[in-house]
Amino acid sequence: MKKFLAALLALVMVLSLAACGGDKGGDTTPPPADSGNTDTQTPPADAGSGDKTAIKVIAAEYGQNTKQWWADFVTEFNGSHDDIDLTVEVVSWNDIYTVVNTRVANNDAPDILNIDVFADYVADDLLLPIQDCVSDETYAKFYDAFLEQSNIDGTIWAIPDLASARAMYYNKGILDAAGVEVPTTWDELKAACEKIKAYDSSIYPWGIDMTTDEGQAAFAYYIWNNGSDFTDASGNWTLNADANVEAIEYAIGLVKDGYTNSDPANETRYALQDLFGAGKLAMMIGPNSIPTYIADNYAKANTPAEEQIDYAFAAIPTNGSNASVSAGVMDRFMVFDNEDSEEKIEAIKEFFDFFYEDTRYSDWVLMEGFLPATSAGGEIVAKADESMAPWVDIVGSCKFYPTAKAEWADVKQGVIDVEQQALLGGSVKELLDTLQATIAG
Amino acid sequence: MSTKTPAAPAEAQELAKKAPRPSGSKKLLRKVEPYIWIAPSIILMAIFIVTPIVKVFQLSMSKVTRAGLVKGYNNFENFSKVLKSPAFALVLKNTIVWTIAVVVISTVLGFMLALVLNNKFRGRKVARAIVVFPWATTLVIQASAWNFIINKDYGTLNTLLMKIGLISAPVNWTPTPAAYFAWEIACGIFVTIPFVTFCVLSGLQSIDASYYEAATVDGAGYFQKLFSITLPLVKSSLTVATVLNIIYVFNSFPIIWTMTKGDPANHTDTLVTYLYKLAFYNGKQGEASAVSVIGFVILLACASVYMIYTLRKGDDDL
Repeated sequence: MKKFLAALLALVMVLSLAACGGDKGGDTTPPPADSGNTDTQTPPADAGSGDKTAIKVIAAEYGQNTKQWWADFVTEFNGSHDDIDLTVEVVSWNDIYTVVNTRVANNDAPDILNIDVFADYVADDLLLPIQDCVSDETYAKFYDAFLEQSNIDGTIWAIPDLASARAMYYNKGILDAAGVEVPTTWDELKAACEKIKAYDSSIYPWGIDMTTDEGQAAFAYYIWNNGSDFTDASGNWTLNADANVEAIEYAIGLVKDGYTNSDPANETRYALQDLFGAGKLAMMIGPNSIPTYIADNYAKANTPAEEQIDYAFAAIPTNGSNASVSAGVMDRFMVFDNEDSEEKIEAIKEFFDFFYEDTRYSDWVLMEGFLPATSAGGEIVAKADESMAPWVDIVGSCKFYPTAKAEWADVKQGVIDVEQQALLGGSVKELLDTLQATIAG
Repeated sequence: MSTKTPAAPAEAQELAKKAPRPSGSKKLLRKVEPYIWIAPSIILMAIFIVTPIVKVFQLSMSKVTRAGLVKGYNNFENFSKVLKSPAFALVLKNTIVWTIAVVVISTVLGFMLALVLNNKFRGRKVARAIVVFPWATTLVIQASAWNFIINKDYGTLNTLLMKIGLISAPVNWTPTPAAYFAWEIACGIFVTIPFVTFCVLSGLQSIDASYYEAATVDGAGYFQKLFSITLPLVKSSLTVATVLNIIYVFNSFPIIWTMTKGDPANHTDTLVTYLYKLAFYNGKQGEASAVSVIGFVILLACASVYMIYTLRKGDDDL
């Protein structure tokens, strides 16, 4: 009896404490201060009115201006569309996947979703082909290369809402002082690192981020600029291709030679951007938003002009004569299949027409310093902000992750793990062979 | 009030009939009353504790798509996938090292600190208040502060050591995953000590001073008193603190997540950070639930051993 009582008590104790422990973790997890906030932008008077066609949108929160931008958008849209009741829920990146998954599991999927991934929703037959939900005029606005990124088995499932591209940033002051030209090839890069190290050993010549956050980007930079890819032309995974092994060995070699930041497995891109802005890092690959990031940091810290760095960006160095490839990141709009009436599909088309109206769309892109996914938007953005013009060119030609493939999520975590194991001394070839065998079966 | 007084006069009987007596409904109410009082807690526990745990057990045996749809039971496939993964053994080992190191060291240090704080000295109240600080601060903030202290490039530890001339160039305090894990354990110990200290302190304060006086008269030394009087008498507080700590530390998430996210390559992951990655980075909610269930079973085993052990010895000894 006592044993039974003891076991029962133990069960109750663990049950309650396990729940407490879980809560503690969940509450305190996401690092940014604004995480966990969801905000529904809806005019209270109109909410839920019967005759109107309701459209529910879940949108990702890109930065501090996103919520206000959507709030203004909703007011403007509902003001000019008497028969549609639009609500937009802006959710932080930390929570958006959980929010969407919970809604889907409870049969309460949004009508339109703004997020980065889409293949998982296609795999569960949750989406409508996007061409059925966008007017022909709007559909014609997108760069073809962008639409192709959302192609699964010949159907386009999503349209891009914005993009960002990557390039190599370098500190002009450090490179000049060390007598180094801007490197364009891997050999030049290594030589440049050596000279910078000799000039001042307290400066990190090259920045590498192989963290859980964005290690897949490092993998992409090196393999793409070694003329290789995640897949072959017919879309089969080629993760252990010789050129990929060579590329990652080169990157790991830079770390082992002491040319990079000291802890690439734990220092995220933001840590690198901070080091770069502080003049402690000479070169790094980063997105087009870096100037905004650094300027904001200088403004916050009241950094005097003489302590601010003089920097520029150039193409990512490549191996030998390979063409330099920029990495693009793209987010999307997709429409959930909620057995919608024709009326609703028309309303959704209205939404997209309104959103992608050229001036409004370029305003959306400029709002958080991103790049446009439509050619007309590109022209307007390039005119509005001169510093954006070269980026608009880059984004039209950059490569993207193979997010349309169902295994991408596993590949992404897999290549990060390979990089981190290699940093600890593992053989790149063996690790990539194992990953290839796991992914391709 | 009784109605069964046989010798009562007729009048009295009449009165007694009119007086309120514990009728059937009142008896029922008395029986039910305790359950009504505990009902809110039972309902709350059912909603907030039992339901999520049942759900986790369900998910651990289901196929869950990346979009979050449950596609029926797949028996123990999630468990076999988790157990076959090469990372799992490493993560389990880390979890055991993490739990034992943090619990044992913080218990020893917390106990010693409690002994110090139990003495009468000037500023004792202030000292006690200061001990609470690490406990009262959010773990994420604590972990971020530790990260900031040990950072090679802008950390305060390097700055301090360079200023006082002990080192000439910044030292990388986290050159290996093991070093990083050791710092995480140090942070874990730092935030756990206050809890142990206060549990032990409450036990120490309940010890009657006459025991010590008698022991002193009999010529007992400090350590004799410590091991023969203090330790046996605070054993119950210490045991409770230890068991609670095992569960808290085992399930602790913020320190490791804030400092390393379990990187590099799971070398600093514990079961909780590992399952978080599985669920929210890899989209494998079924496998994540399986890891959660494994953790639950381990904790249940630990707690059962403790409960059986203490109950067998009887309440007095507890």
